[in-house]
Amino acid sequence: MADSQQLACGPCASQGLCGGKGLLTLKEGAWANNPLAIQMLGICSALAVTNRLENSLVMGGALIFVCVGSNLLVSLLRKVTPHRIRMIAEVAIIATFVILFDQFLKAFYWDMSKQLGPYVGLIITNCIVMGRAEAFALQNPPMLSIVDGIANGVGYAVVLGIIGFFRELLGAGEILGREIPGFSSWYTPNQLMILAPGAFFALGIVIGIFNAIKGPEPEENK
Amino acid sequence: MKGNVYTLCYAAVLGSVCALLLTAAASFTAPHRKANAEAEETLNILLALNVPLDGKSSPDELADIYEDNVTEGQRGDVTTYVYAPPPPDPNGAIAVRFAGPGLWGPIKGFLALDPKRTKIRGITFYEQEETPGLGGDIVNPSFRDKFVGLMTRDEAGNPGIVISSRGEDAPNKVDGISGATMTCDKVQEMLNEAIQSLVEEKQ
Repeated sequence: MADSQQLACGPCASQGLCGGKGLLTLKEGAWANNPLAIQMLGICSALAVTNRLENSLVMGGALIFVCVGSNLLVSLLRKVTPHRIRMIAEVAIIATFVILFDQFLKAFYWDMSKQLGPYVGLIITNCIVMGRAEAFALQNPPMLSIVDGIANGVGYAVVLGIIGFFRELLGAGEILGREIPGFSSWYTPNQLMILAPGAFFALGIVIGIFNAIKGPEPEENK
Repeated sequence: MKGNVYTLCYAAVLGSVCALLLTAAASFTAPHRKANAEAEETLNILLALNVPLDGKSSPDELADIYEDNVTEGQRGDVTTYVYAPPPPDPNGAIAVRFAGPGLWGPIKGFLALDPKRTKIRGITFYEQEETPGLGGDIVNPSFRDKFVGLMTRDEAGNPGIVISSRGEDAPNKVDGISGATMTCDKVQEMLNEAIQSLVEEKQ
């Protein structure tokens, strides 16, 4: 257990939650090890729902909710969960949170639920959620697991938001369905950005920029 | 052995707790989801019949428009929805619900014909789980609009339409969606069943 904590939290394992560990976890998930831009997880949903900023934000919110909830529960149960069935237990927990969110959307945000279609349900199979439960929550205490869930959820949501913003801006000439004064009047929307190829272009450019700012991976980690 | 019993108990308890949570959530949201589904159906009937909505979209407004314009009828098992605007307006229409299996799940929608049952006035889908980007495109106006004005009989006078990207053009044929042949075949089958029932209903 001590070893895995060292692995998960690096040099700050001995410090308190609010001192180094929590902050490091937050930074790790949202930036240095961003699930989408660095780890390349959850690409499918990032391509599919980012044609509008609003969709991207709701999807990001869904992932934060599911990631925090499943990380917390998996972490709370980590000492009583039999090793052999831990993965199926994780899937059951994740699925519960996803369906809760889906039901909530269907009841109170019907239009949004229609727009997102099957992609909310598909969060169950999103590698990010399962990956965090398996790689982090199983080895770390609940509070830190919540921080990790928030960090990775936010990391995903921010990238989705950036892609959604530019796809809607260039593809529809609007933001959040509203016209932009001084821009929408003369801009001719480029349909390509709304369609699937636009998603690939946008995601590729965002990942490129992320990696360019972050710089190359240090040699010893390769 | 003790380990096995523990594992089974753990799985049973975790499963029950998750199931309990979901059941509670489902029963709590059920009335809201039902109201949403009904509003969706009403909107789809109005859209298929091409009833002017004047930019109104809230469930209550749609329910009012529905009350004022649409008459429900029953012939055998078939429920019909009739829109009959006052005489100079030539846009009267009659609609029925169609349903059937799609590629991944059920497809449901409404088909509206003109009062003489010779042309399609409109089609809508309110439930489908087809492949997003391929079969799922049946809900797009660009696909649905192709049906407006389509003849409901072939040149020999037999009721039925064709959805296909192959073969020669015909007054009762529309282009299918590339990559969604199975969805199109299934939709064609359901629509033809609905056309058949409307044509028979008239006789």
